Amino acid sequence: MLIRALLFFGLCFQFSFPALAFDFDFNKALDFAKKAQQATKTIGEPEEIEIGDGIAANLLGASSLLADNRANQYVNRVGRWLSIHTERPDLPWKFGILESSDINAFATPGGTIFITRGLLQRMNNESELAGVLAHEMVHVLRKHHLTALQKGARMDIASELANQTLKNKGDPAVMDKAIKAGTEVYARGLDKNDEFEADRMGIVIASRAGYDPYGLPAVLQILEAINAKDSSLALMFKTHPAPQDRLSLLDKIMSKGFDAYPAPTQTDQRFNSEIALRK
Amino acid sequence: MRYLYAFFVYASLATPVYAGQVAYAVHSTEIKKQPFSDAATVATLKEDASVNIVSRQGGWTNITSESGNGWVRMLSLRSDSTAEKQGDTGLKTLLNVGRSGSSGTTVATGVRGLSEEDLKNAKPNPQELEKLKNYAVDKAQAEKFARDAKLKPQKLDYLPADGKP
Repeated sequence: MLIRALLFFGLCFQFSFPALAFDFDFNKALDFAKKAQQATKTIGEPEEIEIGDGIAANLLGASSLLADNRANQYVNRVGRWLSIHTERPDLPWKFGILESSDINAFATPGGTIFITRGLLQRMNNESELAGVLAHEMVHVLRKHHLTALQKGARMDIASELANQTLKNKGDPAVMDKAIKAGTEVYARGLDKNDEFEADRMGIVIASRAGYDPYGLPAVLQILEAINAKDSSLALMFKTHPAPQDRLSLLDKIMSKGFDAYPAPTQTDQRFNSEIALRK
Repeated sequence: MRYLYAFFVYASLATPVYAGQVAYAVHSTEIKKQPFSDAATVATLKEDASVNIVSRQGGWTNITSESGNGWVRMLSLRSDSTAEKQGDTGLKTLLNVGRSGSSGTTVATGVRGLSEEDLKNAKPNPQELEKLKNYAVDKAQAEKFARDAKLKPQKLDYLPADGKP
């Protein structure tokens, strides 16, 4: 990024300005390139949240929330409890059930997590829900989508975003571009290693919160048992490594030390009363 | 909504989805008498051996097999790809006609609003975002929620990426 910017500016100034002006503008260009590089490392937390909310609004444009306050509140309580056991407990975490029969879950920067009705209704207990929410929360903690956005975005968006961050005042036009580029990441998917990392860290977060660490693997086994060509899984399977591969990785890392954490039976009763048995 | 509840009621009355499922061992593994590492070993399940799943408890799956019955580590099992799987075959996607524009509004069943195309064309819905924000709970509410179900926090470090525990 730095080199590309330098080359670009170097070329521009070389051909359009006399030598004297070149020195001055070259420094400016260097400064600009530095800013752009900084932005790939850090987008400020307020901008992170603003971009994330913008992407969340777009996802909600594709699918609205399930019209069930009690179920949405329940998912928020599970998720917020998990968030306390992460390195970013003070983000404005919020959770929602999307009214879609598709099987999927999403995280947007700054702490918004969605799970589809289709995935929730395949689950058997609160530990499975916690496992999936924790996996998604890792994408927020590790800023996977922000990184993907910046890698995939055109140079001009990335550097405009850099200026925004440093000015610490969002130009709506620039934020809009970032949100649009950010939403496209969800159709494309993250890096495979980001997904493996989310599994690896997600099981630990769920365990810290007192849940059965095997909630997430159990959901992966449920997904594995569904026909891979099932249309409700099309986007999930396109954007994630195969469940078999994710299970193999968890098999390696969970062979020792994860047996001692059974979830209290109260969580099963609660899942049944808040989700499964509701009328 | 009706579908949701219909399904949930069905799901809660029926046995869990994994019960009755056919699986195979992805590597050889010990069949234990109880769901613990130090429980007595009943037999060894060979790689690729077929099992029937009875139930799951934590990281252990109760199975019946030709080699013996008991508990094996759940992560040593994979769904049998030769067995009939749940779900549709993707034909529904091909038959999905009648979408009305990019809004994700649907006039035909089976359209879910979250396809690759739907996401690319999504327009923001600020009203739903406000609703979502109102669902958020604070730490104190979350802590009470955890206490109510006797969830006990554990101290646990993240695992290294190389797969060594």
